[in-house]
Amino acid sequence: MSELSLTQLRKSFGETEIIKGINLDVSEGEFVVFVGPSGCGKSTLLRMIAGLEDVSDGEIQIGGKVVNDLAPVKRGIAMVFQSYALYPHMTVFENIAFPLRVERLPNDEVNERVDRAAKVLQLDARLEQRPGTLSGGQRQRVAIGRAIVRQPRIFLFDEPLSNLDAALRSEMRIELMELHKKLGSTMIYVTHDQVEAMTMADKIVVMNTGVIEQIGSPLELYHKPDNRFVAGFIGSPKMNFINGTCTAADGKKITIDLGELGNVVLERNSTAQVGQRVTIGIRPEHLALNEGDFILNLVPRIVEHLGIHAIVYADQPDGEVFTGMFEGDPAVKEGTPVKIGFNAIDTHLFDADGMAVY
Amino acid sequence: MSNKPMIDRYKWYEVVGIYAGIALFLFFVLAPFIEGFMVSLKPLSALFSSPYSFWPKNGSLTAYFTMWESVPGFWRYIANSMFISSVATIVVLILVVPAAYAFARFPFPGRGALLGAFLAVNMFSGAVLLIPLFRLMRSLGLLNTYFAMIVPGVAFLIPTAIWLLRTYMMRIPRELDEAAWVDGASRLYTLRRVILPIAMPGIIVVAITTFIGAYAQQFIFALTFNSKTEFMPLPIGLFAYFGRQEVVWNELMAASFVGITPVLILIVFLQRYLVAGLTAGAVKQ
Ligand SMILES: Nc1ncnc2c1ncn2[C@@H]1O[C@H](COP(=O)(O)OP(=O)(O)OP(=O)(O)O)[C@@H](O)[C@H]1O
Ligand SMILES: [Mg+2]
Repeated sequence: MSELSLTQLRKSFGETEIIKGINLDVSEGEFVVFVGPSGCGKSTLLRMIAGLEDVSDGEIQIGGKVVNDLAPVKRGIAMVFQSYALYPHMTVFENIAFPLRVERLPNDEVNERVDRAAKVLQLDARLEQRPGTLSGGQRQRVAIGRAIVRQPRIFLFDEPLSNLDAALRSEMRIELMELHKKLGSTMIYVTHDQVEAMTMADKIVVMNTGVIEQIGSPLELYHKPDNRFVAGFIGSPKMNFINGTCTAADGKKITIDLGELGNVVLERNSTAQVGQRVTIGIRPEHLALNEGDFILNLVPRIVEHLGIHAIVYADQPDGEVFTGMFEGDPAVKEGTPVKIGFNAIDTHLFDADGMAVY
Repeated sequence: MSNKPMIDRYKWYEVVGIYAGIALFLFFVLAPFIEGFMVSLKPLSALFSSPYSFWPKNGSLTAYFTMWESVPGFWRYIANSMFISSVATIVVLILVVPAAYAFARFPFPGRGALLGAFLAVNMFSGAVLLIPLFRLMRSLGLLNTYFAMIVPGVAFLIPTAIWLLRTYMMRIPRELDEAAWVDGASRLYTLRRVILPIAMPGIIVVAITTFIGAYAQQFIFALTFNSKTEFMPLPIGLFAYFGRQEVVWNELMAASFVGITPVLILIVFLQRYLVAGLTAGAVKQ
């Protein structure tokens, strides 16, 4: 049975529709990540699930029950806010205990539950401090602690790590994943950082301007993106896109003319694209120097040597950037032409509407 | 060498200039007080001697003792003043705290219009409305009561208080309300346990300005709505030193200083609660 299900969910602020018909099923214990560019409606969607925004149209079900008109507590959710939203005048203990105080639980139980949460989050030594005296990571943990003590069915996280520095962020990422293992509860996590999405999620929901572009496991999205948007959003550095025209297709092979860059032939059984503008996509990490089914002649503009690999930026004839990532320390110089090769099997093809052709 | 940061360092002549400026302003503000204090130290006969001397010759604190004898009920005026202002302040706070929270947080129809109306009311001074108020009080039979001196004062103090506190409460991150709401707290619980403690410095500011406002205002209301000696507040009570033949200036001044002392003490006491930075750590900056 699905823990959370959204059906044709819509939300408008005045005239503008922000969430445009979302359908989603989340099963129990899943770690689901909403990812998408800034302003695409991730927070709004999460706040609708939390009960902080009312629903313009559609249905939210939690545990099989429609919760559209229920207050947040009655939905069995707990939320960790984009800003930590800690109560500055209360100690860490009282911050974590807040939901239990609201419930008027007896003191013994409050103590026990807060202590347990504090142990899990390694906050035992900080219980008497005020939030103002804590570091960013500790504050974040207090906010998570406040969510844990409620023992909710579903945790909602809105970009909980976005203001932490890189090192702390990857540390907290691992802590959160461990927490998910330990608690086994359903978690919905919003981020615009695709690395967080790729590393943490069981299931990624890629959103763009209020609609879901694709739902899938991290590797599904990486290997088989449904469209150009998902292909460009997932993966770092970004996938390269080269515009071309489909000149021939025989049901087995399809030929694409890339202009000055030459022709590529891919194995596709679609023929609908003949004569149309199409785009091919190649991930920077799937490129190799001087070898591959197809070779592009490009002039590197900037080369970044990072030790483990080098990143090469070159211009395509039409001015678009082309990025390559090569292992080790390749002999590539800025301004000196190189031959960059790739294989047909790694190549994605998108039709004139940006939909993937497989 | 000073260990102040560069931005706080000044040349010697800049320091002199700053202090000269402060001294000038302070002189204008404090001159009446100084002169008043000097007068309170002088014997009555010295006040009209010429040439007039600013420094009291054979000055003494006698007036501070004789003032209690010439106007035996004087303590009562002080108490009345404190009472009227305190009750007005408490009533204003009780009304204004929830109102300011509502104005800061809930978008309800007419919110902007109401806030505008409050500002407009503020532009009338109480004096303009004295006659209608007097008629109202008379037909309600409320003349010569504490009520008549407190309620109009409260009405005129509410708008400023709402504006002040609303602005303060709007600076409290909305996420705190939302977090409490998600955790099951009602609006009132949130107001009591989350918003009030955080807004405390703002509430103290409102309490102080309201108290001072009530203190300054009571003169005009007491003058119009009250003729009973036992209800007189301090500013009216001071007229008691205007004798039949002469004004007892030194005792009048002494009485003024004695009269405002409790207020000074109260304000110094309240000021300690004006701690800044209470919201530190609430949200990511
Ligand atoms: N209360 C509101 N009134 C009007 N418009 C709103 C409101 N809340 C959000 N929006 C609009 O909805 C859109 C989506 O906002 P939302 O906060 O959900 O984006 P997001 O995907 O979370 O972005 P980010 O990654 O920057 O947090 C934005 O264009 C925003 O301007
Ligand atoms: Mg957001």
